Amino acid sequence: MSNELPYEKMLQQCLRSELRLVNAGLPRNQKSLSGLLREEYPHVMCSDGSTHFFKRRELEYLSSMIDTDDQEALLLPMIIELEGNQAEASLICQGEVEEKVTSGVLNMPVTCEQGRVRIYRPQLALLRKMLKTTTQYVFSPKIMA
Amino acid sequence: MPQQLIRVRPTKIELVKLKRRLSLAERVQKILKDRLSILTMEFLQTTIETVEVKTQLVDVLSEAYKALSIATGYHGYIALEKELIATEADLKLTVGLRNIAGVRIPSVELMGHEKSMRGYDLVDTSSWLDHAAQLFEKCLESIIELAELQRGLELLGMEINRTKRITNALEYMVIPALQVTISYLHMKFEERDREEKVRLKRVKILVSRR
Repeated sequence: MSNELPYEKMLQQCLRSELRLVNAGLPRNQKSLSGLLREEYPHVMCSDGSTHFFKRRELEYLSSMIDTDDQEALLLPMIIELEGNQAEASLICQGEVEEKVTSGVLNMPVTCEQGRVRIYRPQLALLRKMLKTTTQYVFSPKIMA
Repeated sequence: MPQQLIRVRPTKIELVKLKRRLSLAERVQKILKDRLSILTMEFLQTTIETVEVKTQLVDVLSEAYKALSIATGYHGYIALEKELIATEADLKLTVGLRNIAGVRIPSVELMGHEKSMRGYDLVDTSSWLDHAAQLFEKCLESIIELAELQRGLELLGMEINRTKRITNALEYMVIPALQVTISYLHMKFEERDREEKVRLKRVKILVSRR
């Protein structure tokens, strides 16, 4: 007797493709803000081979918030990690500059703990509104595991 | 609705396979739910922005047409048309893609629109025309932004529908069917165990009678 539920096989394939899809837009590498500002068409390559473009307006907005040294240190796109908890997300920080930028955009003090700035959904919506192309979601391996 | 049992051989191997499938389905459901919540948040955000940009566009367009009417009245239609022939210019747009949780959304940006010279003669025209041109340039930016937002809205909506269908299929069909089948197999094994015990007891009694 084999498994005869009609759509079972189809769903299995669908689920596999879904797992591949969610993190397909992850950047292969991050570029510094100052480097992107020098490019004619600022972009990074994604893990699926596609290109992720940055809006110059957003890059200029970010550059207006921080000084030249920080522009070199700020790596884009900034990664927002989504974990199992649906109420909050965390912004991955490699230095203090991400903390400074997040604090500036949200207009409130934020703290970086263990390389992550924890933000709640309303703040996430605000951050994404201001930085549409300069932030990117990543589904945490904790969810995938 | 009673859940349909998956027709499998009642063996331990099948039970292990089903348990593995159930854990995969639950994991994917979790990911999909997270993705759905992100997509919904982005959809609502895009909707709000679309309304804002549309309202702004209507306001600026009405102002721009008013300014153009005043400029036309001031210069005369023929004179204005003559001046504006030279202002035609190609738009330079940067069109790219951005990825929101697996949805590729177009990203459009107007390049080099901050021109100091618009192409018409500044001596023969008035500031009314400058004002109208400035407002129409603002309209162009809003139109491009609106196009991007509306396409994003369409794509996000389609993806939300698709993800919702899969989540519902998992939540109401696949996972319950797997759970029911697993519990059926457990019951079947317990029943077998009981049968085996009874059989052994019966054999023991028969042997003791002899």
